[in-house]
Amino acid sequence: MGKQLFRYSEANKEGFLDSDNITFNDGSIVTPEEIWHYLTVEGPVKYPSAFEVNLYQGNRGSRDETLPTSLKTRYLGLTFSARMEKAKDNGKSIAFIQGGQAVDPYTAADTIALRPGLVNQWNNGLEYGNDINKENLRRKKSKEKAFHDMSFEACQTGGYEHVQAGNLRIDVIAPYTVLRCSDVSYGVEAHRHGPNKDVKLLNVDFPLRNQADKPWAIEYFAGNLRRLVHTLDEVTGRKTTEDDLLKAIKLHNEGRRLGTELAELWWSADIPPTNSDDRASLVSLGNLETHGDVQASLSVLKEARKFIAERVKNGVKGHAVTDNPKRLFILGSCVGINGSRSEDAGAIVVGRDDQWSHCSSLVEEEGDPYYNLAKTTLEYPYEQGIEKRAQWTIEQIRKSRADGVIFIHNWGCNTQAAISRPIVDIIKRETGIPTYIHERDLHGLRDEQEQNRVNAFIEML
Amino acid sequence: MSIQTLEIIRKRLEERPEELRQARKNGHKVVGWTGYNVPEEIVHALGFIPVRIALGGDDRLVEVGARYASSKTCVFIREIVGAFSENKDPYIQQTDILAFDATCLQNYRAAEVIEYFFKKDVVVLAVPRNFAEDDAKTYFVHEANEFTRLLEERAGRLLDNATLGESVALYNDIRKTLKSIYTFQAARDNVISWEEVYDLIQAGDLLDKKEYLSLLQQTLAELTELQHNPVIEADCDSRIFISGSLIPRGDRKLISIINLAGGRIVGDDLWSGILPHLDLDIKEISPAGVALGYLNRTPHAALPYLDLESDRRLKKLHELLSQSRAHGVIYHTLRYCDPFTFKAKETKNVLAKSGIPLLEIHTEYAGSDYEAMKTRVEAFIEMIRIKSELVEEEAA
Ligand code: SF4
Ligand code: SF4
Repeated sequence: MGKQLFRYSEANKEGFLDSDNITFNDGSIVTPEEIWHYLTVEGPVKYPSAFEVNLYQGNRGSRDETLPTSLKTRYLGLTFSARMEKAKDNGKSIAFIQGGQAVDPYTAADTIALRPGLVNQWNNGLEYGNDINKENLRRKKSKEKAFHDMSFEACQTGGYEHVQAGNLRIDVIAPYTVLRCSDVSYGVEAHRHGPNKDVKLLNVDFPLRNQADKPWAIEYFAGNLRRLVHTLDEVTGRKTTEDDLLKAIKLHNEGRRLGTELAELWWSADIPPTNSDDRASLVSLGNLETHGDVQASLSVLKEARKFIAERVKNGVKGHAVTDNPKRLFILGSCVGINGSRSEDAGAIVVGRDDQWSHCSSLVEEEGDPYYNLAKTTLEYPYEQGIEKRAQWTIEQIRKSRADGVIFIHNWGCNTQAAISRPIVDIIKRETGIPTYIHERDLHGLRDEQEQNRVNAFIEML
Repeated sequence: MSIQTLEIIRKRLEERPEELRQARKNGHKVVGWTGYNVPEEIVHALGFIPVRIALGGDDRLVEVGARYASSKTCVFIREIVGAFSENKDPYIQQTDILAFDATCLQNYRAAEVIEYFFKKDVVVLAVPRNFAEDDAKTYFVHEANEFTRLLEERAGRLLDNATLGESVALYNDIRKTLKSIYTFQAARDNVISWEEVYDLIQAGDLLDKKEYLSLLQQTLAELTELQHNPVIEADCDSRIFISGSLIPRGDRKLISIINLAGGRIVGDDLWSGILPHLDLDIKEISPAGVALGYLNRTPHAALPYLDLESDRRLKKLHELLSQSRAHGVIYHTLRYCDPFTFKAKETKNVLAKSGIPLLEIHTEYAGSDYEAMKTRVEAFIEMIRIKSELVEEEAA
């Protein structure tokens, strides 16, 4: 017997067709009609796992059918792999980056920047027709291979094995070596012993400890950004100018502003206007990198802001959100809790520190763009020492009116794990809000045990 | 054969905590430092008593440390954090100021956690990841100046070049003498074992530097009397080289297993061993000159380097292996020590090209893996023995 698949209802089609097109980097557009067709006909055949009605699905994708922009982020997610393949066929350059950074210099240098999650998404989408079990098995197998080739204590392997095998056509591995990530610089280094000699390697060296107060540290990081752009130019063969970078900063500032507005609008509502996953997928558009296409993200983001404002004004509640849910704020890198299952338990995720930290950091537009970008990057709240980071987090928790805080960290994410206790300590001390630290087990599988603990915490709240 | 100076050193180590206590009573300050690139000479020249914070082997402290720094931090750092929490280690007890560096991010996190929970005064030296680049060196010079400024504030005086020059000369002499002593442990006749030299190196982390130099010189004199001309040759068929994560004082599990399995350790490139004392060339007497001397040594594995062919860490490993005439490498990786675990497979492959076998031993401070480690080490030593015999037979 085939698995039960979720289908979007035809009843909502008309409303969806009234919404805007998505415009892409290359100027092409996709109409709501085409998106609807993909989500109802093509998508379920290609990726049945994404439509499977199954408790164990990590993020089951938006089912909020009356919120067109959520369906659009769904579309962008499902077509991601095909779009990356197309971009490569058209000669576009692609870089591997870190999860906690903005992508302005990559945009300036006409390069698509993909963080580890997106690299995995690209790879996952290359195979069609899998159900959830098959898909999980396949992911697990490739993880095993990467663990073997790199280190079994690696938290994420960022598609190492696929890049090395040449299956994923990544031209350059060039992330920021931010403090949040214990693994990324060693991950870059690991590529030096793989068979793929064509992939370029660069660590963009992010210095540590109160660096934004030190002019020499800003200069140093700015120099690293110049080196990054130079390396990206070596791949594309073009010459990126300071003006290109300034334009990219302006574009990304627009995204960051809109993302921040959207988040604050959402927080201002008495009734949550979307569920946890929809909130996350819309707010994260502010970084413009989520779908490997800056313009596409921006066009959906602009529209999303409009829809959310309408919902907030009319007191519309998001799909599957319970009445008076317990509001959770999630801390920790590259990882979150299962939104829909937590909603079933009576909660809602109202914010995260990861991604939000750099989305809310605007870059100065007057003056040397490298220096400005370096300064802002070194000021990322997430990258600060314990006290400073905790104070910023408390501000976000207060703004979002969270009832509880969960610090969750991945297996092998040593530098987050190490400061989880002090951070929640300060939060508890200053806000009195209950907190809970969760260590995700090896291989990052979202399992029953994890959800049981999260549910117990929600119940306690 | 026993080297009498080693006995004196053991005794002096027993007396050292009390000596530090007295020194502090008399107004001296003790700086506990940890980090591959902490320029100890600067600490010394400012009149502080430098003591290295490096201890391991106590699983209970690891558990205590995990309560503060999570169970996902490397075992070494967890133990250090645990030791600060308990405050029973006689050296940790005596520290007034801590100086940590950010060569390894986990070391840096330890500084933050200790500062937060145990209210310690911590000075941190940032270290560039792209250490080989010129702009990284410029950045590091700024950081070294800043590090010096922060220590000067605490010392209540400015660093003067003449004193720094004296400290550099003293440390240079220590390094030079250690290098000479180190040659003896790998030599025929074995007048001093690697284990004894290893303890001797670590004694220098704690003893007064001037006294330490004189004890080293005495040791060297005794050794020279016993063996005038140390010749290093493959005199037995199980010469083992240890590489990988550090093995600090208190942790002797792997070393004793190798000994029990009949292996003779003849060299190491450990941060807790000879490596930091090699190739330190201070070209200019200034904080910048000292710091650059440190940064230009064989890099620590925590600093990534992206070109395999020109990697100086691997080059040094090859050089030391050939000097020590080792037959195989036991590569020690501590739980959650990313800098070394990420490189285990690569190092194995690189050495395999030169016909040198490598065994990775991944461990923590619990005793539960003792038997499993022993079995693997025994099998490895047996394997290299058979291999050496075959080579000898072929040569004959
Ligand atoms: S979870 Fe942590 S270690 Fe893993 S990729 Fe993210 S930041 Fe890096
Ligand atoms: S190098 Fe390894 S053992 Fe040393 S502090 Fe870093 S992670 Fe820990």
